Amino acid sequence: MAGFSDLNIPQGPDKKSMQGLLETAAHLGYSAVALNHVIDFKEKKQEIIKPVSPSELFPSLPVVQGTSKRIKVLTRLTLVISDPSHCNLLRSTSPNIRLYDIIAVFPKTEKLFHIACTTLDVDLVCINVTEKLPFYFRRPPVNVAIDRGIYFELLYTPAIKDSTMRRYTISNAISLMQICKGKNIVVSSAAERPLELRGPYDVANLGLLFGLSEGEAKAAVSTNCRAAMLHGAFSASQNIWELRKNRKVLLCFTSTETGLWALWMQPKWMLCFREVPVSCE
Amino acid sequence: MALSEQAGAAASFERRVLRSAGEHHYLRVRLELPDGGARPNVAQFKQLVVSALKELHGEVGAALPVDVLTYEEKTLSAILRVVSSGLVKLWSALTLLGFYQNRRCAFRVLQTSPFLLALAGNSRELVLD
Repeated sequence: MAGFSDLNIPQGPDKKSMQGLLETAAHLGYSAVALNHVIDFKEKKQEIIKPVSPSELFPSLPVVQGTSKRIKVLTRLTLVISDPSHCNLLRSTSPNIRLYDIIAVFPKTEKLFHIACTTLDVDLVCINVTEKLPFYFRRPPVNVAIDRGIYFELLYTPAIKDSTMRRYTISNAISLMQICKGKNIVVSSAAERPLELRGPYDVANLGLLFGLSEGEAKAAVSTNCRAAMLHGAFSASQNIWELRKNRKVLLCFTSTETGLWALWMQPKWMLCFREVPVSCE
Repeated sequence: MALSEQAGAAASFERRVLRSAGEHHYLRVRLELPDGGARPNVAQFKQLVVSALKELHGEVGAALPVDVLTYEEKTLSAILRVVSSGLVKLWSALTLLGFYQNRRCAFRVLQTSPFLLALAGNSRELVLD
């Protein structure tokens, strides 16, 4: 079974509080977390900095409760885009962007949502839960996103803090469910304190509130998170879905002590292998 | 539990079907209140659970038959019993509860089972020597 993961832990400046968050997440049973670095383009010109390596930040990672492995920490970048010109940063092959394990985008308008689902090279599309959606979801871009392997992310921590956010979270989630039929959903926290984290089964139960079935709700915390990490591990030129289209042959996945490795064959008989930073237990 | 038997024609073929897993579900929960303030007693704890249900599911949710079977004030852990149809509502209400008397708190659901006896053993706390 895919291990539980929480793909959104905001990266704070305080190292001690992040360590506390990691320990709580490991105690609750999460096998992997992703430290989120949010870039909002509305503010002054922001540079995309290189991600801080988790091994530098946290010298000793806590052990996940119930297993003997340490929690895996990934890096994630979220771009809040409110203007089509912001997408150019993604399209340009900035070297710093590819260093992040997962790339997420937060579209603010319907047109940007369409662009994010159909053309942008991202792994996650964040759905706003703190305010009423300014646009309605339409079936064509959502179906294209599902085919491309993009996942929609819902947050649950705003629902814990405030009752109006609770209503917006549930109503936005229900309208998303009606269009996507429960596929490709990832539920994650945006917890800033250890008390705002919830256990993986609690979060899976929240999925039932949003209208998912039991299997889909559990997958939203485990299988879909792992699939989003896999999607992020392969860049656009080597994307697994494009591998099939370009008839590059995926030979095998091998699991070693260091993790999951994927081996595939490129044109002209070149063999290529790359480590996939996921935890699959 | 409702059983239904079906005997075959010639051979003694018998099939038993359990339709429902029991009318109650039991949850072992623990309230995390990190600050060193006053701890709720059992009546306040029940009041907290009912108010959590009311906040999320309204009056109908607050009317859900929930019982606190045991409560330990020292560790703030309790065993709750709820009708099986109301398990999702109770669990989601406890998950989304964030504040107790303006203090940050969190409910951790440790075990849940349709059988009370199953709450006695917890394989997560198993220590293998």
